[in-house]
Amino acid sequence: MTRLLGLSACAVALALAVFGAAAAVMGARLRRPELVRSAIAAAYANFALLLVANLAMVYALVTRDFSISYVAQVGSRATPLFYTIISLWGALDGSILFWGLVLSGYTALAVRWSRAEAGAVLPYALAILLAVGSFFYLLLVGPANPFGRMFPVPVDGPGPNPLLQNHLLMAIHPPLLYLGYVGMTVPFAFATGALLAGGLDDRWIRLTRRWTLTAWGFLSLAIIAGMWWSYEVLGWGGYWAWDPVENASFMPWLTATAFLHSAMVEERRGLLRVWNVSLVVATFVLTILGTFLTRSGILSSVHAFTQGTIGFFFLAFIAVVLLFSLALVAGRSTELRGTGRLEGVVSRDTAFLLNNLLFTAFTFTVLLGTLFPLAAEAVRGVKVSVGAPFFNRMTIPLCAALLFLVGVGPALPWGRPERQLLRRKFVPPFLALGLVAGTLLALGVRAPFTVAAFAFAGFALTANLGEFADGTRARRRAHGEAPPRALVRLVRSNPRRYGGYLAHLGVLLIALGITASSSFRTERQATLRPGQTLAIAGHVLRFERLWARQEPQRFVVAADLTVLRGSTSLGRLDPRLNYYAASAEPVATPAVRSRARADLYVTLLAFEQDGSSATFHAYVQPLVIWIWLGGAVIAAGALLALSQRRERRSPGGERLPAAAQAEAR
Amino acid sequence: MSGAGAAARKARAARSRRRRVVRLALLALTGLISAPAAAQDTPPDLEARTRLVASQLRCPVCQGLSIQDSPSELAQEMKQVVRAQLAAGRTPDEVKAYFVARYGEWILLEPEPRGFNLAVYLLPVLALLAGLAVVGVVVRRWTRSGDVAQA
Repeated sequence: MTRLLGLSACAVALALAVFGAAAAVMGARLRRPELVRSAIAAAYANFALLLVANLAMVYALVTRDFSISYVAQVGSRATPLFYTIISLWGALDGSILFWGLVLSGYTALAVRWSRAEAGAVLPYALAILLAVGSFFYLLLVGPANPFGRMFPVPVDGPGPNPLLQNHLLMAIHPPLLYLGYVGMTVPFAFATGALLAGGLDDRWIRLTRRWTLTAWGFLSLAIIAGMWWSYEVLGWGGYWAWDPVENASFMPWLTATAFLHSAMVEERRGLLRVWNVSLVVATFVLTILGTFLTRSGILSSVHAFTQGTIGFFFLAFIAVVLLFSLALVAGRSTELRGTGRLEGVVSRDTAFLLNNLLFTAFTFTVLLGTLFPLAAEAVRGVKVSVGAPFFNRMTIPLCAALLFLVGVGPALPWGRPERQLLRRKFVPPFLALGLVAGTLLALGVRAPFTVAAFAFAGFALTANLGEFADGTRARRRAHGEAPPRALVRLVRSNPRRYGGYLAHLGVLLIALGITASSSFRTERQATLRPGQTLAIAGHVLRFERLWARQEPQRFVVAADLTVLRGSTSLGRLDPRLNYYAASAEPVATPAVRSRARADLYVTLLAFEQDGSSATFHAYVQPLVIWIWLGGAVIAAGALLALSQRRERRSPGGERLPAAAQAEAR
Repeated sequence: MSGAGAAARKARAARSRRRRVVRLALLALTGLISAPAAAQDTPPDLEARTRLVASQLRCPVCQGLSIQDSPSELAQEMKQVVRAQLAAGRTPDEVKAYFVARYGEWILLEPEPRGFNLAVYLLPVLALLAGLAVVGVVVRRWTRSGDVAQA
């Protein structure tokens, strides 16, 4: 019954999506608004249908209906209710089902929120969204059908992947990732929809920018949550391993970030139109490519649930999207020609062009490194690895340059700034840069990229805070407002601009956290008997005892450790090893003590069966917590920027009123 | 016969020279990047050297983690081998060669910069330089005074 309900909901969704896509285009071409209205109705109905299908699956999971293939694949009677529910996105078929729900939700919201603004573009954008939707619904009734029939019905299942039922973040990271990933479909639909509709004006860039910003905010949070999960679950003391699945989530973030900046050049100067369309298309294609790479099993990875035919579907889909987009851009090349010009070489416009260059080179490097093992195997017949040492070597210089630009961009005014203004804007950041670099060198830090990262972060921090300070001062002078009030008014006068600077501050927190925790990391490994201690970076760990517990779905072995400073106890840590029936290797749960200054992180590596000794790996890493905090600040920045309902745009690429005010002196 | 042998030797010498030139060029291009790595090439104590070599070898049972980072048992054992070999006086390159002989090139987390593998190192640098040139041309064109509406 559940099986039939879920499967038929997906089948009807597929039929409606195909119908809706055709109806929307025909309605626009033949000027038959009732056809467009029926396409809109189809979009809303699809959301309801996918909601039904997803709820049916959750019901099947919770009631442990092993006659349904997906439940038989990821369910087990021993798995706790919470992890049973979230195993909805724990394997391939279920995650496509959830993808369908998010996509149909975005489609409905895009229609609802952007209908008025999109105008003639809406039917075409809707057609694209429904066409993309029909691809995923096709997967659901075909190669990734989660509602397959199991006969004979198994008595029990293996349960979800042990790594995915070990931490609460598994309930947060995947939905955020889907909201970010799938959300990139909407800007793609508005961009290609605007090209299909023709008569291109600057409406398309506003629509795509807003929707990109929404998805980008979720994607930023998702990447940080993924790093946090990796840190809390995988037990290696790190948070980013340049694993293909991490790269897959990072590449669309890079291109989307590039677009959020270059969109401003188009809005102000009427330049870079083909480039912006390309970035939007690239972002969308990278989300699909990332899913293909990690879900088809072509590159082995934590998330690769190896499956048969689904890879071909994805490849064909990517080819269609690329050909379609190329044809559209070629067909509209005259309309896409830039109309404006730049006023000066030393200006924010140029900073944005360099920003785009670096982000593009970054994306290319990550993509090349991720795909290179496939190329090497095809060309040389030899398997090679491209891992963290390669990516660090190639991308750390790019990161340093981008960090510098985070400061240069906001400090450089638009247009053709005067020398005096430039001096006033750049003297404090450069002073901060020199101060930080000098201090670190005096303290004996010699690693060039550590010094550079901190110095550039100091530079950028001063520049971005300086923007808030300058604006506040200008308001104080103009309106006589007290500083806190002036700051709030300033931010509310141009949330988009200050949201951007706030996001910069988040990026800087993350950069500081990553640089500090990777440059000044201390680690020690030791085998201890009960009562013995391990000293690491000012902390002393005393091994008290080993204990074990049988839980319904796993067997847990844990060690009690007391954290000491001098002879005072600061608290307890209990790193664990979890043994699941489904996994040969135990899954470690590290114990983490997070403080603003540093994290103490301990994993249990091995133990004697009789509890007479245990081996631990301890890490002390400064400022890790700032990375997670930075993620929240980025999201707050995105939210602030989105709160600007109406775009204020002055013709001829002049400064915005608030901007002019802030830069008046 | 000896003439052919000399020619072959000459060709080999030229080839190795060319290879050296390519390597030098690569070094120059990624000069900034390799400088810190070179500085760390021979840390004084055994533990630091072990860490450095272990962080360049892949843990065979993990998802792209090095044997330095991986908490798995196999990685711990492999790290012991690295430590023992370094203690016995082998160079880092010899230790890596030992693992390549057993597991294949796949065990290196960073492909050796030679032959086809050079592509993965050089293409990003070339792309960046080409992009820089494009940005330069575009900015010049767009800022040329009196000239409105260029592509």
